[in-house]
Amino acid sequence: MQRESLGGAYRILTFRHPEVARAARPGQFVMIKAGRSAEPPLRRPFSVMSTDAEAGTFSLFIKVVGPGTAALDALPSGGEAECLGPLGRPFPVPAPDRQPLLVAGGYGVAPFLMLCRRLRGGARPPRLFYGGRTAADLPLAGRFDPELLVPATEDGSLGERGRVTAPLERHLDREPSGELFACGPEPMLHAVARIGARLGLPTWVSLDPWMGCGFGTCLGCVVRTQTAQEPAPKHRCACTEGPVFDASCVVWPGEERSLAAERAREPVRQ
Amino acid sequence: MTAAAIRTAPDLGVELAGLKLRNPLIAASGTFGYGVEVAEIVDLSTLGGLVSKGLFLEPRQGCPTPRLAETPSGLLNAIGLQGVGIHHFVEVVLPRLVDCGTLVLVNVCGDTVEEYAEVTRVLDGRPGVAGVEINISCPNVRQGGMVFGTDPRMTHAVVAAVRGATKLPVIPKLSPNVTDIAVFARASAEAGADALSCINTLLGMAIDVETRRPKLAFGTGGLSGPAIRPVAVRMAWQAARAVEIPVIGIGGIASGADALEFLIAGCRAVQVGTANFVEPGIYTRIAQELREYLRRHGLERIEQVIGTLESEA
Repeated sequence: MQRESLGGAYRILTFRHPEVARAARPGQFVMIKAGRSAEPPLRRPFSVMSTDAEAGTFSLFIKVVGPGTAALDALPSGGEAECLGPLGRPFPVPAPDRQPLLVAGGYGVAPFLMLCRRLRGGARPPRLFYGGRTAADLPLAGRFDPELLVPATEDGSLGERGRVTAPLERHLDREPSGELFACGPEPMLHAVARIGARLGLPTWVSLDPWMGCGFGTCLGCVVRTQTAQEPAPKHRCACTEGPVFDASCVVWPGEERSLAAERAREPVRQ
Repeated sequence: MTAAAIRTAPDLGVELAGLKLRNPLIAASGTFGYGVEVAEIVDLSTLGGLVSKGLFLEPRQGCPTPRLAETPSGLLNAIGLQGVGIHHFVEVVLPRLVDCGTLVLVNVCGDTVEEYAEVTRVLDGRPGVAGVEINISCPNVRQGGMVFGTDPRMTHAVVAAVRGATKLPVIPKLSPNVTDIAVFARASAEAGADALSCINTLLGMAIDVETRRPKLAFGTGGLSGPAIRPVAVRMAWQAARAVEIPVIGIGGIASGADALEFLIAGCRAVQVGTANFVEPGIYTRIAQELREYLRRHGLERIEQVIGTLESEA
């Protein structure tokens, strides 16, 4: 493990793992734990931020917030961790006729460095709406092409002041098309899902529920989903059937049904 | 491996309720899916056996989220027996488990005594099923589960009903949420159980002090992991002393030494639970640690360790 501190609680941790380095796709994750001690008990899921297939390494962008991340951060340089991956379903390849609009909140930006790299050669250049509390909470801002980046902070210390969904909505007012990809706190994802549903845009969200195993056995990380075709709500594992979900099929906290099911209930307008 | 090494490799095989296990390590119900999910990352032939996730007659969606909370050296869960239902299991999943390389025990559930028997009848005679574990100890469902496992008359009724529905080995999984587990061990044996699984999770609760809400959506949950191991060893030991039928020890096992505590206490096999989430390939390591122990103590077979606790109180 090699550590790079980005100030505050933010770190980039790089590990040697040829399989993850070779196979990881944007939006996939690894389950990782520092050592075998019983504390903390579980591995933690992290989106893969970047890979270097030649060096056989991958990097994670983490914010040290609790015992799992603290234990990883406390690994000595060159220390080892238990790691399983790559896991989960990646972000889908965007439709060629749609501009990819990426929306990141805080450390939810992690999968977008790799996604932007993948999209660089595409027909439509992506755009990244990257929000956080302060400039210090956007430590990866300098690693994105400035032409693609639209930052927003709650205190106005970087980009415009306010929520990241405000510049996204203004952009969509001018050009109501594209395909949305979002990763970040749940309220932000829910807001992006509503925006996407209102404009009828394909919208993909990467969800981050508590995860026990990462490979579909503990059933701890399930997400309540509901499609227009299958109106009975279903629990799907975020680890094996996600973490990327079609936002219109997610039954968001506080809602009775998914946006897709809601739309299917509306009377057909003449 | 050389011929000499094969001759001297200690034998981890155990016999349990008429079943021959390659080693005494079984994957615990609810921590190994239906086996097929794990087969991609774990060589199932490194296990002595596996127990499926609990199954009712019908599919279940289980509890709302959050379903997990980490606690000191432990895991609190309220999954609520989400599952595909016994019919889907026997038609779609079980055919993939025939010749999977290990013994498959199926964990059966019910809201009523009759449902336990009916689920068992659906399983009976299907190729690929080595035995039935009876879930009378899940703390995360409103009906069934622990309700049957905390009343000895109900325990007797469920075990007798399942016993009447199959010739397969019948193994009730007992709850630790009782004052005297020996009472439940005896009730199970009298009703015709072939072995006992001891123990399921301990009923627990964790609270988020910022929101003042339970950390689990269900409110309470079942505690597992190394945190419960001393309680589990004590209860497995009590059960093993109370009955003639074999006991399978369960609770916080994550190493060879952990497994040996249960074997020495009198268990004929053990189940590994929460550790499956943290270290999916754990069986190879535990088996290796058991062999090293046997070599170090000059023993040839793991059976020589079972029930050898010194200076019992």
